[in-house]
Amino acid sequence: MTDPHRPPEPHHAHCRELFARLSEYLDRELDEIQCREIEGHLNACPPCQACFETLERTVALCRQMPSRPVSGDFARRLREAVARMGAAAGAGRTS
Amino acid sequence: MPPTPTSKPKRIEDRDSPLIRSIQAGDADGFYALVRRYQQPLFNFGLRMCGHAADAEDMVQDTFLNVFRYLQDFRFESQFKNWLYRIAASTCIKRRRRSQYAPEPELSLDDFLPGDENAVAGETPPWAREPLERVLDQELAEKLQEAIVALPEKYRLVLVLRDLEGFSTEAAAQILNLTPTNVKVRLHRARLFVRDQLKDYFRHDRPAPAA
Ligand SMILES: [Zn+2]
Repeated sequence: MTDPHRPPEPHHAHCRELFARLSEYLDRELDEIQCREIEGHLNACPPCQACFETLERTVALCRQMPSRPVSGDFARRLREAVARMGAAAGAGRTS
Repeated sequence: MPPTPTSKPKRIEDRDSPLIRSIQAGDADGFYALVRRYQQPLFNFGLRMCGHAADAEDMVQDTFLNVFRYLQDFRFESQFKNWLYRIAASTCIKRRRRSQYAPEPELSLDDFLPGDENAVAGETPPWAREPLERVLDQELAEKLQEAIVALPEKYRLVLVLRDLEGFSTEAAAQILNLTPTNVKVRLHRARLFVRDQLKDYFRHDRPAPAA
């Protein structure tokens, strides 16, 4: 940084505008011009860079959330429910 | 001459199509195969949405009941999986409407604008810098689940479909009957909400990891 005593103001209009598009940037849903514009700003603005990295990490954590296996008991109850649906539908057709 | 626009929507073939056609043609056992294929993903979806295994199980069962009821009407105009999640999402919404009537809050971008919350606003905190597997432990997974459940439902649906179930923006839009732009707006606010909860957690409830 050229002047450590004057960090960029987080409420700067440019930061605000970038802030609104960070998810689209993360999801690669912006065109190349917008991407380059955002990258340029992130490199020059530590608060926005930190903001982006915490958002990116949040999404990565969501994607890595462990899943819980369906219990054997529930799988059995589900099969029984399906059997009841089939029986009811069969009865409906024949009556 | 330009091709005349056709009113007949194109049929979408995917990995489920043969099974669905077979069930529609009367293969009674096919439905069990369909349940086996989707019980685990739908249970995960329900768990993320409701936070409790019992509620998630009820949601899965109601969803399959509705699928059973309406499968004859499925016309292969979307991927089957999107159609299935559309039913699952509306089942979640109906269940909630039965249990609570308070209107849901809107999340505004302004609520999440970075302020002067700490002196080192320009520094990425350790939880966003360290290797993911060091950060994500059982306790954090629980915090994350709490944060997701705390989201207003319309934001939660989008976040869960996009970031946990891995649907594309377009698929999530189709499932929730929203425009892609709407999906993006809600997703961004939902992520910012969860991020703020994580920031709070790391700032107050969790000691900094040893360097
Ligand atoms: Zn900035």
